[in-house]
Amino acid sequence: MKDEALRIIEDVLSKGRKALVEYEAKQVLKAYELPVPNEKLAKTLDEALEYAKEIGYPVVLKLMSPQILHKSDAKIIALNIKNEEELKKKWEEIHENAKKYRPDAEILGVLVAPMLKPGREVIIGVTEDPQFGHAIMFGLGGIFVEILKDVTFRIIPIEEKDAWAMIKSIKGYPILAGARGEPPADMKALVDMMLKVSKLVDDLKDYIKEMDLNPVFVYNEGEGAVVVDARIILK
Amino acid sequence: MEMPKIVEELKPFFEPKAVAIIGATNKKGKVGNVIFENFKRNKEQGIFKGNIYPVNPKLDEIEGYKVYKSVKELPDDTDLAVISIPAPFVPATMKEIAEKGIKAVIIITGGFGELGEEGKKLEREIYEIAKANGIRIIGPNCVGVYVPDTGVDTVFLPEEKMDRPKSGPIAFVSQSGAFAAAMLDWAALAGIGIGKMVSYGNKIDVDDADLMDYFIYDDQIKVVTFYIEGVKDGRKFIEAAKRITKVKPVIALKSGRTEYGAKAASSHTGSLAGADVIYDAVFKQTGIIRAEDFEHMFDVAKAFAKCKLPKGDRIGIITDGGGAGVMASDAVAKFGLKMAQLSEETLKFLKENFPPHAVAGNPTDVVGDTDAQRYKIAIEGFVNDPNVDAILVIVLFQVPLLNEMEIIDILAEYAKKSEKPIVAVAMGGKKTEYYAKLLEEKGVPVYPTPERGVRALAGLVQYAKYLEKVEGE
Repeated sequence: MKDEALRIIEDVLSKGRKALVEYEAKQVLKAYELPVPNEKLAKTLDEALEYAKEIGYPVVLKLMSPQILHKSDAKIIALNIKNEEELKKKWEEIHENAKKYRPDAEILGVLVAPMLKPGREVIIGVTEDPQFGHAIMFGLGGIFVEILKDVTFRIIPIEEKDAWAMIKSIKGYPILAGARGEPPADMKALVDMMLKVSKLVDDLKDYIKEMDLNPVFVYNEGEGAVVVDARIILK
Repeated sequence: MEMPKIVEELKPFFEPKAVAIIGATNKKGKVGNVIFENFKRNKEQGIFKGNIYPVNPKLDEIEGYKVYKSVKELPDDTDLAVISIPAPFVPATMKEIAEKGIKAVIIITGGFGELGEEGKKLEREIYEIAKANGIRIIGPNCVGVYVPDTGVDTVFLPEEKMDRPKSGPIAFVSQSGAFAAAMLDWAALAGIGIGKMVSYGNKIDVDDADLMDYFIYDDQIKVVTFYIEGVKDGRKFIEAAKRITKVKPVIALKSGRTEYGAKAASSHTGSLAGADVIYDAVFKQTGIIRAEDFEHMFDVAKAFAKCKLPKGDRIGIITDGGGAGVMASDAVAKFGLKMAQLSEETLKFLKENFPPHAVAGNPTDVVGDTDAQRYKIAIEGFVNDPNVDAILVIVLFQVPLLNEMEIIDILAEYAKKSEKPIVAVAMGGKKTEYYAKLLEEKGVPVYPTPERGVRALAGLVQYAKYLEKVEGE
């Protein structure tokens, strides 16, 4: 667990970087058994085609560059690619967009990922406070976090009861509990994820400065949750 | 339960055998004079039982007390030193204190870390002497300690300018000395009993966590209140807070609520995490009740000091005025509590014993022609109703047929014998204030508005729920 995560972190640090790209961040999360999609980093178009076949269409392409952390601003994500033809086209497109956005962008590869079915969006984050150390944040994604700032924090490490209290304390809780006839979301999966994030950060507190799992898709009760995008900033 | 060493270490601050007042003087109004006068007065009144040793190289005696030229000359029973000499002289005095073997020091003097790097250097010097010699320090830059029962009073605001509160089960800890003094003065007026007050100023040594650990074992103290500006060792604070809240409630007023993370952060989470939300998280996680303002803090503290803990969050309201009942019901919703659904038996009991124009329900309105006995019926009904967890009784003392002393005795009797918390609300002017005070003296917390009464109950409910969760583990 820790060794595997540490290996990825040391590797990034050795390259003089402080920010993990999505692929690296997800490898760290995976080391702690957090649910990440079955996705692969393709260095070449041929590899991308091969992985897409393995994963099964439709797929998503996300270009990985340490210089471009805001992927949607740079238009280097291509969603819902249905076949090889489309993949080839999008491969070119996102590479061109990357060059336009940051001519000096170093490209580590392209993440080939399955097109996930949409779920309710939540954010799980980590920040470090100078007095109290690392804190974990939970909230609903999208406008809830952007505009309403409907989030809650606890100091790491957290216990199971803290995780439940966090979920229940946000104003948007009814959305997870099942509002307007919707079935409840898999909150148990969220609690499990928060506890794993807490353990990960507690183990690696000397390395990690901040972290966003944003968004996390949470599905209906019993169907789990998955980290769609992730960012880790090192100290 | 084995007592941690902090209890032994802090004991001389609260009940010293002999106190050395370093910088004592006969110049009226000087810090060293006010502190000396405080101890002298309390000694004369038989409250302070220890010895008082003024220290000043320039004096032989102050008001009949022998003055010691230096710390070296002090008698060996000295176990507390209170320092009010200028900051640059403190390190040398600390060395003498260490040689003398005194283990508890209150440094009132300002002019240290709060002024910048030079002062911080002095602080480090003092702290190192203390550390090496097992000395505990409260301060510097503080008003120190006030304990009404033992007569320790280092608050350098003279008695003719600042009243001292009576003793009671509330401990009050304040980083700010000015706030501490103002609160003591106010508590005296409001009739709030403070068992121990500590103001630690720059807290180079004894901090919030140490005091929390001490208060766990202090049987006099039932509830601890904190005014906090900042915590230095966050982890130590969290651990100590978790320990004490298992045993007694802690209420904190943290200033800087509006300060929102303006710091540069490269993640979403970082940009959302102002210092204040982190304190919120810490308080929630450790079961500390966060107060909005000082009124809130002492309103809740008063409820803890006088009430039993509720078993749930269902509130029953009794009133003799409809409007006040509505205000209380609104507050119940506002503070996340529930209105109790009275049982059929209770409703039947109330209707059978009420005149037709009184309203049985929640709120129950005994209406404006009530006498004390009608209140008694309502309270009896609510106390026996399994659907009611806590009771708010609004008494508008102004109504014509209500015998004030009779209703006060009834409330006091039920507050004592019932397993449920009972708080009272009395709205009005001078006359109401008079009766409210009498009622408080008989053990029932009284609030001037329904909202504040309900908010105090919400504090009890919050803590009861926290305990339930912790004990469930």
